[in-house]
Amino acid sequence: MITFERVTKRYPDGTTAVDKLDLEVPDGKTMVLVGPSGCGKTTSLRMINRLVEPTEGRILLDGKDVQQENPARLRRGIGYVIQQTGLFPHRTVEDNIGTVPVLNGWRRSRARGRARELLELVGLDASLAKRYPHQLSGGQQQRVGVARALAADPPVLLMDEPFSAVDPVVRASLQDELLRLQDELRKTVVLVTHDIEEAIKVGDVVALYQPHGRLAQVDSPERLLAAPADDYVAGFVGFDRGIRRLSFYGTADLDLRTEPVLGGDATVAKAAATGLPWVLVTDGDGHPRGWVPAHRLSAYPGDAPLAGVPLDGHGHAFTAGTDSLRAALDAAVLSPAGQAVGVDGAGQVKGVLGYDQIRAAVQAAETQAAASHAARTQAAGTQAAGSPASEVPPAEADLAAEGDRS
Amino acid sequence: MIWSWIPGNGALIWQLTYENAYLGVVPALIGLVISLPLGVAAARWRWVQPPVLTVVNVIYAIPALALFIALIPSLGLTDTNVVVALTLYSLCVITPNVAAGLRAVPPPVRQAATAMGFGAARRLLTVELPLAGPVIIAGLRVAVVSGISLASVGQLIGVASLGYLFIDGEQRSFPTEIYTGLVLVIALALACDLVLIGVRRVLTPWGALS
Amino acid sequence: MSFFSWAWDWITTSANWSGSGSIPQQLLAHLGYSGLPFLIAAVIALPLGVAAGHTGRGGAAVASLANVWRAIPTLGLLVMLVVLLGFSPLTWLLPLVVLAIPPILVNSYEGVAGVDRDVRDAAKGAGMTTVQQVLHVELPIALPLILVGLRTAAVFVVATATIAAYIGLGGLGRFIIDGLASNEYGPVAGGALLVVILAVLVLILFAVISRLTVPAGLRKQGRPE
Repeated sequence: MITFERVTKRYPDGTTAVDKLDLEVPDGKTMVLVGPSGCGKTTSLRMINRLVEPTEGRILLDGKDVQQENPARLRRGIGYVIQQTGLFPHRTVEDNIGTVPVLNGWRRSRARGRARELLELVGLDASLAKRYPHQLSGGQQQRVGVARALAADPPVLLMDEPFSAVDPVVRASLQDELLRLQDELRKTVVLVTHDIEEAIKVGDVVALYQPHGRLAQVDSPERLLAAPADDYVAGFVGFDRGIRRLSFYGTADLDLRTEPVLGGDATVAKAAATGLPWVLVTDGDGHPRGWVPAHRLSAYPGDAPLAGVPLDGHGHAFTAGTDSLRAALDAAVLSPAGQAVGVDGAGQVKGVLGYDQIRAAVQAAETQAAASHAARTQAAGTQAAGSPASEVPPAEADLAAEGDRS
Repeated sequence: MIWSWIPGNGALIWQLTYENAYLGVVPALIGLVISLPLGVAAARWRWVQPPVLTVVNVIYAIPALALFIALIPSLGLTDTNVVVALTLYSLCVITPNVAAGLRAVPPPVRQAATAMGFGAARRLLTVELPLAGPVIIAGLRVAVVSGISLASVGQLIGVASLGYLFIDGEQRSFPTEIYTGLVLVIALALACDLVLIGVRRVLTPWGALS
Repeated sequence: MSFFSWAWDWITTSANWSGSGSIPQQLLAHLGYSGLPFLIAAVIALPLGVAAGHTGRGGAAVASLANVWRAIPTLGLLVMLVVLLGFSPLTWLLPLVVLAIPPILVNSYEGVAGVDRDVRDAAKGAGMTTVQQVLHVELPIALPLILVGLRTAAVFVVATATIAAYIGLGGLGRFIIDGLASNEYGPVAGGALLVVILAVLVLILFAVISRLTVPAGLRKQGRPE
């Protein structure tokens, strides 16, 4: 656990980068520090491994003041990943990764073995081990940077805008990689970014900074979207936070309608008999083929199979149960029928969801989320979460229950 | 051009070539050793740089012959005179390169090393100096090549080198001797340059810096 | 007796300041022997280097030149020309010009070629003609490096003009060569000191020129040369 106690950083020219910061980083979770340029988030991060020294206050790592530790030894226990990677150009990939283990006294062969394990862990091919950094792509270099930070198995990982220098596609895959790694390793990660989307995607807790070194809100991503503490937070989080919040609500308990779903061998007459404005036609394996509007049915003889009628593409289906309400809403918007097609893991249609059902589901989810949040904060004995953090952020139980984001 | 003169005087030529090579290479290497701490200081402490650079520029402006002469009272007309003078010149050429090379190490690399727990000395020795290697070797090349050429001037104060072939050849109006000397000095200098390029390739195989 | 006391004694002897072969006379001669080759070299090498740098062609040739020129022993070159041409003006002019060209050429090339590619694109894109691009954008930015090249060449010719005395010319080297021949260390040390002072004056001159002409934003450049 990392604790900031009234930490202030003031520079000789008078600028205050960090202003009486109180913050607790929970063990084994990803905390994201996010905010506008110059808000002090990077300065805060760099005070943890003493690349910057606080002017006032102290930082505790597992209860011990970091300033009491020998800096070099402190840093060997903390992984550090930066935007420009800082990979040593004069060493091969595997020697780059093995840097800290070798510093800690490992034999080079053992360090290289560990490097290969880590290459695999971060999703890179072992054949890259003997290459030099400049021979790798930007995304690959970033992964090597992460591998290097993890080499000595430090409990804490600091990341300073690690994914900002790569293109969006690579960035998304690196973020997914981080989530996967965290599932596996459960490190205490502190990540700095200026991208609120990234914060919401990868963070377990998000600390949103105001422009001059103070915190605006510290909360789970879902709470940040649901209950921004003030206009500044609401503005920073973005105007479409309503829809984005739907990513945190699941589709597990929803009843999908099956009446509009018919097989391709069903007749036109049967389809017309349902009285529904749209009918979803599936193929022999139960996969969705397309929608048919009711008015088109009248042009065909009653005994003709539905498979013969021209269909409108169904757009995009959502995986019922695992995908979020947001995916369901998106599927509904893309569908010509205004109804989302829900499939199971194998791609077979389980049913459809209309806008009305989605709306009801959203309301139900919001009510439940608000209720459980109120119950928890009451139980924890703290004030309503989301106020500027001179208080301790919501207890850990909160973070586990907020639902999948997807 | 009297070709037979060359094999006829092989021993002399070889001796002079060896002397010249010694006078060119040894001072450069000594200069390298002295330049390293100087250059590190200039790179590390901003205020060290201007005085060091000024002194270096002034010394390099001193004509070789004048420098040899200035050293006569203390070092006489000996090999050491030329070695000391050429060492000073090497210092002038290599020190700025050490400083520039160190400063050209990308800040993210330096920061990453610190963040991983490298102490300042270890970082200097295992990260910064190797990365500055190509630039430092470039300076060494200049020092060696110009040293070999300047050593011939030492002949004017009686210190043996391939310059003997110039002076003797002029006195005897004997072009062959002069050409021989010219070709040998240039060939020797370029050969050393090639060797150093090879050394650079072997020591610093990593290509681009970023 | 130290170098400075020898030199000082000799320089302060008034007899050395009058008559033929006096200090002022040789000083002037020395300036001529250095100034002329420098100017000729500059006139040849500057445009060549700038043009090559602008077009980006000839980079390999320039790189080889940079290596080779330092290898050429000036004494040898001088002596070779004496034997070939006798004591004509070309004998001392040619080697000094030839050896002063490379630093100017190489640095002008590097200076212009090293101008940021984005800056050059911007100049082209703004509609500047080639001449305008070179005069208004590339030359000013390349100025620090070019001045370093010119300075190197200037110091070089001042130094080498000393050796020219070996083949019978005047200049400050006259004192040195004659003094060495007759074992008189006064003129040897004095001549040497005068040459050093002259070289340092050249350095100062270039520092002043640089301060006056290089815009403040660029002043941090300049490579070790």
